[in-house]
Amino acid sequence: MKTLANFVVNGEPYELAIEPNLLLIEVLRDELGLTGTKHSCGVGNCGACTVLVEGEPVLACLSLAMAARGKAITTIEGLAEGPTLHPLQEAFIEVGAIQCGYCTPGMILTAKALLDKKPDPTEEDVREALAGNICRCTGYVKIIEAVLAAAEAMRKGAAR
Amino acid sequence: MNEEFSVVGKRIRQPDGPAKATGEAKFVGDLRMPGMLIAKVLRSPHAHARVAAIDTSRAEALPGVAAVLTPDDLEDWSGFDRGMKDMPLVAGGYRIPPEEQVVNRVARHYGDAVAAVAAVNEHIAEEALSLLEVEYEVLPFVLNAEEALRSGAPQVTEAAPGNIGKHLSYPYPEGDVDQALAEADLVVEGEFQTTKQDHCTQETAACLAYVDASGRLNVWSQCQLAHLARRELANIFNLPVHKVKIMTPFVGGSFGQRGALCAEPVAVALALKTNKPVKLVFSREDNFLGLESRTGFDNIHVRLGFKKDGTLTAIKTNMLGHLGGYMGCGPMASVIGMTLSMGHYRCPNRYGDADMVMTNIPVSGAMRGFGNDAMMFCIEQLVDEAAEKLGLDPIDIRLKNTKQPGETASMGLMLESSYLEDCMRAGAERFGWQELRSQPKETEGRIRRGCGMATMSHCTGAAPLYLEHSNAMVKFNEDGSVNLTVYPAPVGTHIWGALSQICAEELGIGVEDVSIVTGDTDITLFEYGSDASRSTYAIGGATLRAARKAKEQLLAHAAEMLEVPPDQLETRDRRVFSKADPNKSIDVGEVCYDAIYSFGGEATNFAGKQSFEPTWNSPTFGAYFAEVEVDTETGRVCVTRFVTAIDCGKAINPMAVEGQLEGGLQQGLGYALTENFLVNETTGKVETTNYDSYKVPGTLDMPHSEVIIVDKPDPKGPFGAKGVGEPGMVGIPPAIANAIYDAIGVRIHSLPMTPERILAALAEKDD
Repeated sequence: MKTLANFVVNGEPYELAIEPNLLLIEVLRDELGLTGTKHSCGVGNCGACTVLVEGEPVLACLSLAMAARGKAITTIEGLAEGPTLHPLQEAFIEVGAIQCGYCTPGMILTAKALLDKKPDPTEEDVREALAGNICRCTGYVKIIEAVLAAAEAMRKGAAR
Repeated sequence: MNEEFSVVGKRIRQPDGPAKATGEAKFVGDLRMPGMLIAKVLRSPHAHARVAAIDTSRAEALPGVAAVLTPDDLEDWSGFDRGMKDMPLVAGGYRIPPEEQVVNRVARHYGDAVAAVAAVNEHIAEEALSLLEVEYEVLPFVLNAEEALRSGAPQVTEAAPGNIGKHLSYPYPEGDVDQALAEADLVVEGEFQTTKQDHCTQETAACLAYVDASGRLNVWSQCQLAHLARRELANIFNLPVHKVKIMTPFVGGSFGQRGALCAEPVAVALALKTNKPVKLVFSREDNFLGLESRTGFDNIHVRLGFKKDGTLTAIKTNMLGHLGGYMGCGPMASVIGMTLSMGHYRCPNRYGDADMVMTNIPVSGAMRGFGNDAMMFCIEQLVDEAAEKLGLDPIDIRLKNTKQPGETASMGLMLESSYLEDCMRAGAERFGWQELRSQPKETEGRIRRGCGMATMSHCTGAAPLYLEHSNAMVKFNEDGSVNLTVYPAPVGTHIWGALSQICAEELGIGVEDVSIVTGDTDITLFEYGSDASRSTYAIGGATLRAARKAKEQLLAHAAEMLEVPPDQLETRDRRVFSKADPNKSIDVGEVCYDAIYSFGGEATNFAGKQSFEPTWNSPTFGAYFAEVEVDTETGRVCVTRFVTAIDCGKAINPMAVEGQLEGGLQQGLGYALTENFLVNETTGKVETTNYDSYKVPGTLDMPHSEVIIVDKPDPKGPFGAKGVGEPGMVGIPPAIANAIYDAIGVRIHSLPMTPERILAALAEKDD
């Protein structure tokens, strides 16, 4: 039995008729076509499906969509402003932190949640924040470097 | 050296970076078509069983179910070898029987595909699976190689009597190894065991297939070897090759796993059966059960002979590997392992052989390192043992035996370049080897520290064992920009960037002037594909030569425009210059425009096409240094620091090379310590099917890592480049094993080196 539900995704309001047992990842990918949110382990072990709900990282493969009704949801598609990339996206490209790119959306959003709370993190802070996000390509070295570089760029941007 | 190049050697941004950073990049699972069905695979709950009957009526009656695929549907389709390697190889008569079916009447391992469904959505497809009623005739099974070889053992497949899938030997034996061992001053030997390792690509296997109105089969595939996949799918489904079109969108990791057919056969079969687009995306569990994982060896017996002064005189290896329920790519792990493991040390007496055995476990195959990882784990520990017994430093004994250019390399070819000595010296200095090794060892306390090192060589392409045929086309557009048509696997190795750099360097244009055309078997020429660390070397070699041909045409036309002979012209900064008079020059785009928009019957589009099949390969070399802390109470090993020094020739993009080595460390660390592919010995059930039971390293598990690129050109690689895809992980386990020995004085001969194994070895030492 479908239910009407309201979502705010990347600032846009949506009204959808959905089955109440749908997962957030299914609504984002299948109903809204926002395929930047990735499915990988399906059980909350790898962080590939991470999105932000009210600024907090949430595993979309474990969350019921209904629980996110009315809340501000941010996916990777919502980070750039037009052609201007978010400093995290810019830094990930610049330092070579993206290889296959499949973990990238989850990594960037998890990092964004960290930097929004803690603009000047240590390397250890970044490692802690990303501990639930698996990458099989990079060994995390350049991902951590990218987050620290983005933090610096964002601090400089804020100071301007 | 770098000053000679304008593009090569630069840390360029990747062309696919923005698409991947913004979520725009489409992977197979992201694709949708109108009317598309979703497929799911039913997997055997038994390690060995015959499907006596399947009652599909309840599943078919479920609204939304479009088709059920069972072994009764196979009549028109051929069996196949998922490894697609039906080609002549030096290993001799290497053909794999095409005994696997799209779905199998005899399940040969836990998780083997026995049926599949297609439905309007994933929920209904899953429900349909649960409604299939299968009657299994359970058969006796065998899980390890030693037992499989015993007389009376259950027969895994009729294609391999006695369960011997393949008996293979080292293709380049030399000398008399038994006599050399008998005459050696010191023989070190050991028996080792390695494990299956799952590739754990972050994107699971996926395929979207549909038959269009003209009867052509369109397949969006992740295969690393797309042209081979086209041929194999044409074979299975009895279609001419041109009626099959493979397309490759972005692929979320591969590491060798997509070198075999994965989700393609079932998706295609259901697309043919329903005449609708069918998408099959594997679950993580499907990936663990249904795909190839690293070939494990139940036993590797290695004997090394040395003279008193540390000169290596003999290598003898015997391998016993398990292949799983189908032969797949697994057998070659032994040949590659033997061949490469004998590659970096000079040794006049060499022999190796291998029994690769059928077992009722998921299929073995190629993963980064492809057997070299297993052999290096053995040989590099034994070399350390020999060094200790002979009173030599581990680096000194290796320096003494390191091959030099001009000597015979691993595959019977002349060694073109080697800077392994530079790797060892630079790595040792950065690591602080001398200081660390000369410190007095702690013999008390719970935490013990140690350091160890290892070296290796790995192939750059697998010539002459495998076909190395690549193609490239370089086309100038009317503004001087270029389309480069190539087909490397887009699995995240920064290969588009590297090929763009090679092309731009040769043409004297900017890397931003090159656009890659790829991912479609209709528009690309034949490409063997991306494996064996070959793409930069072989596809790069084709690219360089195709660019050269296009440039010849450009210069011939510019010669007429500038009235300077073509051999007196050169290109740089997107202009054609007279070598003698740099004031005489013309924009590349102007030359191209003039040639394309030319009336009078002379119009031409400059384009170079090159087939390239290197019959040589230039091995890459590396030295690896590990520092560990071992908790003697829990047995836990923590790697605290790691230095990798690599000779991969000229680094086309140092940032990309670092990425391969840093990433290799993560996979090598998991292989060494935590990644344990577990099969229940009583039931044959695979116990590790997701990350909660199979531990891959995360950010908190990674040591501080440093990479040194020796960066000296190879004479034959494009601009001096050699391969670097696999080497990143090959030397990791032995370096860690040697560091563990340095810390606690015990040698661990089994992978992964789990706390249980560490504690057992410590207990044995104390007895």
